[in-house]
Amino acid sequence: MKIKRRDFLRISGITGASLAMRLPALNAFAAKQGDSGETSENNAAYPVTGKWIPSTCQSCTSWCPIEIYVQEGRAVKVRGNQLCKANHGYCCPKGHMNLQLVYDPDRIKTPLKRTNPEKGRGVDPKFVPISWDEAMSTTAEKLVELRNNGESHKFLLMRGRYSTTTRNIAYGRFPEIYGSPNNISHSAICAEGEKFGPYYTEGFWGYRDYDLANTKYLLIWGCDPLSSNRQLPNVIHRFDHLLRNATVAVVDPRFSTSAAKGHHWIPIKPGEDGALALAIAHVILTEGLWSKEFVGDFTDGRNRFAADQEVDENLFEENHTHGLVRWWNLELRDKGPEWAARKTGISEEMIVKTAVDMGRAAPHVAVWLGPGPVMSPRGAYTSTAIHSLNGLLGSADNKGGTIRQPSVPIGSLPAADRYIDDTAKTGRKHTKIDQRGTKKFPAMARGVPGSGVVTNNVPNAILQEDPYEIKAAIGYWNNFNFSGHETRRWDEAMAKIPFYVQVTTHPSEMAQFADIVLPAPLHPFEQMNIMNSGANTHAHVSIQQPLIKRLWDTKPFETEIMWVLAEKMKEKGFANLFDYFSKEFKDPEIGATPTNATEFAEISAKIFSKPVWAPEKELPGDKIDGWQAFKEKGIYNSPPYQFRRMWGNFGTATKKFEFYSETLKKSLSEHAKNHNTDVDDILAATGYTAAGERAFVPHYEPPLRVDDESRYPLVFIDYKSRLNGEGRSQNSPWYYEFKKVDLGDERWDDVVKINPEDGRKIGIETGDTVRITSMVGSITVTAKLWEGVCPGTVTKCFGQGHWAYGRLAAKDYKNAVPRGGNNNDLIPDVYEPLSGSSARNGGFFGVRIEKA
Amino acid sequence: MTQYSMVIDLQKCVGCGACAIACKTENNTQDRSSEQTFNWADFIFVEKGKFPEMQYAIYPVLCNHCSDPPCVVVCPVYPRAMYKMENGITMQNEERCIGCQSCQDACPYSERGVDRAFYGYSVISFNATEPNAFYTDDSELLPGMTSSGKAVSDAAGATPPHKTAIEHEDYNAVRQRGIIEKCIFCAHRVEKGLLPACVEACPAEARIFGDRHDPESDVSHLLLTHKARRLRNNRADFLTPEQRGHLPNVFYINDYMLPERIVYEDENFRKERP
Repeated sequence: MKIKRRDFLRISGITGASLAMRLPALNAFAAKQGDSGETSENNAAYPVTGKWIPSTCQSCTSWCPIEIYVQEGRAVKVRGNQLCKANHGYCCPKGHMNLQLVYDPDRIKTPLKRTNPEKGRGVDPKFVPISWDEAMSTTAEKLVELRNNGESHKFLLMRGRYSTTTRNIAYGRFPEIYGSPNNISHSAICAEGEKFGPYYTEGFWGYRDYDLANTKYLLIWGCDPLSSNRQLPNVIHRFDHLLRNATVAVVDPRFSTSAAKGHHWIPIKPGEDGALALAIAHVILTEGLWSKEFVGDFTDGRNRFAADQEVDENLFEENHTHGLVRWWNLELRDKGPEWAARKTGISEEMIVKTAVDMGRAAPHVAVWLGPGPVMSPRGAYTSTAIHSLNGLLGSADNKGGTIRQPSVPIGSLPAADRYIDDTAKTGRKHTKIDQRGTKKFPAMARGVPGSGVVTNNVPNAILQEDPYEIKAAIGYWNNFNFSGHETRRWDEAMAKIPFYVQVTTHPSEMAQFADIVLPAPLHPFEQMNIMNSGANTHAHVSIQQPLIKRLWDTKPFETEIMWVLAEKMKEKGFANLFDYFSKEFKDPEIGATPTNATEFAEISAKIFSKPVWAPEKELPGDKIDGWQAFKEKGIYNSPPYQFRRMWGNFGTATKKFEFYSETLKKSLSEHAKNHNTDVDDILAATGYTAAGERAFVPHYEPPLRVDDESRYPLVFIDYKSRLNGEGRSQNSPWYYEFKKVDLGDERWDDVVKINPEDGRKIGIETGDTVRITSMVGSITVTAKLWEGVCPGTVTKCFGQGHWAYGRLAAKDYKNAVPRGGNNNDLIPDVYEPLSGSSARNGGFFGVRIEKA
Repeated sequence: MTQYSMVIDLQKCVGCGACAIACKTENNTQDRSSEQTFNWADFIFVEKGKFPEMQYAIYPVLCNHCSDPPCVVVCPVYPRAMYKMENGITMQNEERCIGCQSCQDACPYSERGVDRAFYGYSVISFNATEPNAFYTDDSELLPGMTSSGKAVSDAAGATPPHKTAIEHEDYNAVRQRGIIEKCIFCAHRVEKGLLPACVEACPAEARIFGDRHDPESDVSHLLLTHKARRLRNNRADFLTPEQRGHLPNVFYINDYMLPERIVYEDENFRKERP
């Protein structure tokens, strides 16, 4: 018998009538217009009146539709949106923690102005409060002056987190109409290496979903989806089902929650993931376990894949894939389990078992590619190698496999062509500040060289003034001085920018370098916006709405600040942005144009969400009747994903799943051509060892150590906390109180975990205050000897080590003394250049640990 | 007679922490202070073994609502501040509580000075000082520019500012100085047909709540079909089948790590690792 919590009501003798009252839809949505809006907690019996109001949590990239219980104007509780199919109506711990973020005592209340011209870490900016009018006036003046001098390209806009819809206004239209090529996102410190493999095999540049309900084998590779990686409540909810109905294997050098809970833990040697993936592929082929339906077969049905043997391409007829035999001949034939065992530390027997078990479960196999092995120097081919297993097993885009999200309709922005003047066009023609597309940074997002962002290279470019000087910048919902690797470069670069505006909820590290600080609202509580995301085979469009009175004098950047800034720029003589906003944005219900910032935000939200509440033709999925109904439900769910739609129509050069990537060949050749050279030279310039045809197939690249192993003997592994909120929750007491839910971590402390064997060798004991030093920096934290870390490696959770942000986040805000240590102070500025990714999860550098 | 009980399925539990934080938002429990946790829902951890054959377990913990509760026996006031309700909940009446901490000393799952204790967990906490110091402090980090705890409380109209206005005849929404406090199985919810907050918040649905004396309940069903364990103390020791302890009513089924779990490492290789 399946036990359902909803049964509690039945068993505890609640009558049918009141059970019906508990169903989420009935009460909340029965509230009529003109009604006070106050209903009990979906149950007439709940002691005190209140109302669940839908919103969206952005404490990680799951972007969970949530509901917030509002009593007497206060936000008091959080849960998943009961209608959401992606999160099953649940939120993770971070959802609940939002309450301590919105009610954080250290939030900024008002715009601030710097009065100390000297900038640097630990230098008091001597902020003073100013009005929004003054803040916007100063900012507008700087921007218009740059434009008037023909230097609009010297303006830099940096984005951290964002809304999936209004980013098109602030990150898209604003620089376009203003005339700067420099809209720089955080993406390359986040995920691009993870997108590389799926793109150059099956033409998909985005986040994968997994059909966990039907999978028979889940191979989690280099991440801990029970703690992070974009669909937390779904994975937590599904995990027991997976343990009962599938095999769960976890490849991770670190003892993570998934590694603890899965059937198999494969504690691989850091950086050798490619070897394991190739050997699994080798065994799948030699054992004849590939998907005949998806991949095809030898024309006579006789398997000729045998170790070291070259195979005649003409004997194999492929169905939905391209280049299998070439991949075998170029790479796989001598990459057997014996070879991989020597590289990875995983026994030959277990490699074979993994491959065979996966083969037997095919095609219902999900290979979950995480950032660990691929956000790494030389990680691009690890990314293609791991993702190729989905191709071999026919699980790509298949039931129980690795899939995409269904598409959801989002309204489009009004055209802006007539507002883009010649100054803007000229400004936009300049190359971008992050040096993407230069020989060493192919950054080939979606197949186009130079189209991907190289976020963490921005400070280098600013400091070198290459390609030019940055004279003014705005950063919103970002904190690169904390989240960028080798942070000290960001400190130097931000100190160099003559005029910087930071939009933030807290006095963050990056805000310490700002000339103007603009206070932002807390996204799930205090602003109107539209988000889209998905998981569990469904996608959705969800709302964020102001559900409490804004606590302080704050405005969200992408809508309201855009409006007031545009208004001020018009006063200073540049009217195009304001004219575009005020004339072209029309309320889709009544056609009215916005007259103020709040109306602009609401009209934008309506434009973007209209296709789900007033679709022009019948929309499959949830039926929502109008804007008001959408605000009350807070979500539109798509129908479930249709499997196999991409078969025969993958977004690659051949429309096939490419083991031999013609798509990658085209992109690399184009990049080579841009630099008058050949692909071999490009690979060498980007740190790869392969040459010739191997460049176009998933192949083995030996892991790169960027430092001197004898000086920094302990390999460092970085990972994310299940409470992190992307580095924004460290001023919350609950973060520290429950830090222990990260395996091996301690409440109210920041510990580096060292294997007891290594601890003995270097004379370190649990509780010692230690100094960790890498080739680029040092941090001071507490040592913990822990068996969950492999001898020779040390591991520390990312998150703590703020030297600003608030009184709890920093140990001593006034003197810039961090609480704990920031891993990014240790992680050297290293890239996976084909995707533009920063290397971040470790394995490629080491540290030295000594008593502090 | 009803005996509300909880079964925690450790195989479902991933130790994410959502239950414990949801409890704090429901019951407005304050932050750790004066060596008291005020975490009515919390976790204790057990680790054994050597890399990579490590054994690890997380046990979500809360008041066990014992059927033979020492905390009730020792309560010196009359009528008792700590008492058993008819539905089996071990209830504390805040008005009658004199804060003597006898219950904290008597409860095998509680202790004073929890910050120094290895497991760091106590069912019962004592409000030695005025609660919610974090949200009553009126100092500002950047005077006139950032807010303060008190300003946030004032703006929200409550302390703590996210206070859930719950009502129950035995307890207030927010505790006061000089009394003890502990998990009351969200009596204010349960009496109205709602599940305890920790149960409702668990994304894994690892907590199952119900009447153990009702043979039709999910709890009864699970206890019949699983080998269930009960905690003996707050150090992750369990009662043996022969031990009755104080007849706790929180049960643990299954294991946090699968018994059949396999680690795939090559032992010879490990010896050669750097």
